[in-house]
Formats: sequence, structure tokens, C-alpha cells
Amino acid sequence: MTFEDWFRKDRLPHIFCAGCGNGTIINCTLAAVDQMGWKKEETVFVSGIGCSSRAPGYIMTDSLHTTHGRALAFATGVKMANKNLHVVVFTGDGDLAAIGGNHFIHACRRNIDLTVVCMNNQIYGMTGGQGSPTTPLKCLSTTTPYGCAEPPFDLCELAIAAGANYVSRWTSYHVKELEKAVLAGLQTPGFSFIEAMTQCPTAFGRRNKFRQVIDHVEYLKAHSLLKAKRDRLFEEGKEIPPDMFVVGELMRRNRPAMGVLP
Amino acid sequence: MKLAIDEIRCKGCNLCTKVCPYKIFKEGKKPNRKGIIVPELDRPERCANCRLQKLYGRRLCGVCELTCPDQAIHWIEEEPYEPHKVAIEY
Ligand SMILES: Cc1ncc(C[n+]2csc(CCOP(=O)(O)OP(=O)(O)O)c2C)c(N)n1
Ligand code: SF4
Ligand code: SF4
Ligand SMILES: [Mg+2]
Repeated sequence: MTFEDWFRKDRLPHIFCAGCGNGTIINCTLAAVDQMGWKKEETVFVSGIGCSSRAPGYIMTDSLHTTHGRALAFATGVKMANKNLHVVVFTGDGDLAAIGGNHFIHACRRNIDLTVVCMNNQIYGMTGGQGSPTTPLKCLSTTTPYGCAEPPFDLCELAIAAGANYVSRWTSYHVKELEKAVLAGLQTPGFSFIEAMTQCPTAFGRRNKFRQVIDHVEYLKAHSLLKAKRDRLFEEGKEIPPDMFVVGELMRRNRPAMGVLP
Repeated sequence: MKLAIDEIRCKGCNLCTKVCPYKIFKEGKKPNRKGIIVPELDRPERCANCRLQKLYGRRLCGVCELTCPDQAIHWIEEEPYEPHKVAIEY
């Protein structure tokens, strides 16, 4: 089997815009799920509302497309009702960190056995490009027409501080690494959080000088700082460039988890 | 194995032109029936996966397939195989 077999082929092509990174993230996630050897009947995909949250609709398993921000609340319910199910959550930055922020920190605190893949396009894509809690400083959106003045959330740091067992971040350029990170997340008992930085050409790229899809992907690639390199810079007492974000496996630990079969 | 782009699924984003180590995908020139400029394949028989998947019994490389946001890239069976056409580049 390959990841192609997890798609509902009759629903493709999907509605994401040309060049939208969400499709890439779905591929990588499904490639990892495929390697777990799970049965389709025992796997559930859950999502909230947003472009990213449309993902489960294209996947050939049972799924819940829930209300905005509540994916984790529903996923917690599914997992606690039947611990035999493997639950994977697709969510967006707005869905997870804005309206669903409280569910996020408490799911991390409970360390419930879920794998959460956040497609962070740094914008509210579906509703036309409003700024989200992860929109970087100075970036333009419809609600920050003079450039975003608020510092953004670092979702991975948030997940680590709140208690998630596994945390890593990659981009839509690093497909193989992302696939491996999701796989590691699926294998880790407890809450696994994988942040995938991705391009949204329609709502973000167009307003922020990324005229071509490639430009944004190249930007993500050029501004990702490997964790090992970050640690090295830190040890040497050098400055970490402020516009870069750390990629790699940021946390793997063994806190007591909820929802794991004994 | 033969590399193929599904013209029904491709939306013409050209991401594949950036990721292939052999630069097999080239930006297309003519719009197709749907008005989408699908990338062209430049000597696709160079693809590592086309050449070696059968021999190794597993998917090799496959970066383009994973990257394609529209699930438009895949490999199809190709028969008969013409070895004299294969140009291996190092
Ligand atoms: C309770 C509620 N509030 C607001 C909305 C409107 N809304 C729909 S999608 C969305 C933002 C989605 O952003 P994100 O989660 O980042 O997903 P993206 O589209 O960027 O993938 C908002 C605010 C809603 N559907 N429901
Ligand atoms: S608006 Fe952005 S996130 Fe939504 S489908 Fe289009 S490119 Fe993707
Ligand atoms: S599998 Fe690798 S080598 Fe083959 S076409 Fe795709 S990116 Fe190129
Ligand atoms: Mg978003």
C-alpha cells in the first residue's frame, strides 16, 4: 500500500488553491499513517474548520469535521470513548491557536494519546486572509494592513511548555523529514504535535511579496534553522537570527499519558 | 515504471519543477483543455524510481510525489521496456 490508497479518489482533485501546501502535508501524514500498518476501520481523522481542516474529507476512513477550534475537544472524546482507535487531528493555525487555544494547551497538559498535525500557513486562509496568532511581525493581512504589530505565537514552544510528549516542526519543503516526524509522532504514546509550516499563495503569499508559489517555499526553506545548528549558535553565544524558525525534533519525552491502552 | 502527471488533477503550481534532483519537470508552455499549464517531462527515464523501483522492491526518492499538493504525480507500468533509451547520469 502507498499513501495514495488512503485518499478518497472520487473526491479528488480537492478544492485547495493551486500551489496550496495543505495537499503536501496531507501526503506526508498519510505516508506516515500508511507505514504504521493501521487498519482503515481503526483510524479516525478529526479536524475543525478552515482550509486545512477540510483534509479528513478526502481520506478514506471515518472522520469528524467539527466546529471551528474544537477538533481537539472532539478528538479527546473519540479517544476516551474507544482507546483502540488511532486518532489523528488535522488543524490550522487559526483553528488550533486562536479559537482553539485553550483546547490545545489542555490537550497537551492531559497528554492524551493523539497526533496533531497543524498546517501553519500563518493566516486565516478560508475566510480571506485575516491575521492569525502566528502571523509574523510586519506581515500584511486584511486585518493588519500596515503590517502585523503583535509578536506571533511559537506553537511548538507552547506545546512543550504545556506538556506534549512529542513536538517537532518542519515545512512543506521538507517532505521526507515531515513524513518521519509524523511517523515518530504516531509511534509516541501521548500527545504528539507536528507543526508544518506551509504556503498559502492565495491569502498570505499574494499580500506578502511571494508572487510565485515557489518564492514562498524557498523562503520557508531558507528561513528554517535546524535545531542542531540553533543549539550550536546558542553554545557559541552567537545571536539567533530573529526571522528564522527552528525546525527538527524539539521534544521527545515520556510524561504519563492519557488514553493509552494498558 | 513510467512517470506520469495526471492532467485532471494537476493545477499547474510548478512545485515539482523545484524539487526533483534530476530536474525532470520543466515548466510547461501550452495550456491544456482546462486552461492549466501542466509541467512537461524532460527525459523522465532518468528518474531514480522509474529505473530502480522494481529492482529494489521499494519506492525510491518519490519526493515529487510527496510534494505534489494535488496528488497528480505517479508511476505507471510500462511494457515493453526499451533499455537502449535509458541514459544514466552521474
Ligand atoms: C465559531 C466560528 N468562528 C469563526 C468562524 C469563521 N472561520 C472559518 S475558518 C476560520 C479561520 C481558519 O483559519 P485556519 O485555522 O488557520 O485555517 P486555514 O484556512 O488557514 O487553513 C474562521 C475564523 C467559524 N467558522 N466558526
Ligand atoms: S486560501 Fe490558502 S490555505 Fe486555503 S486553499 Fe487557498 S492557498 Fe490553501
Ligand atoms: S521520484 Fe525523485 S528522481 Fe524521480 S522524478 Fe520524482 S523527484 Fe525526480
Ligand atoms: Mg491558517
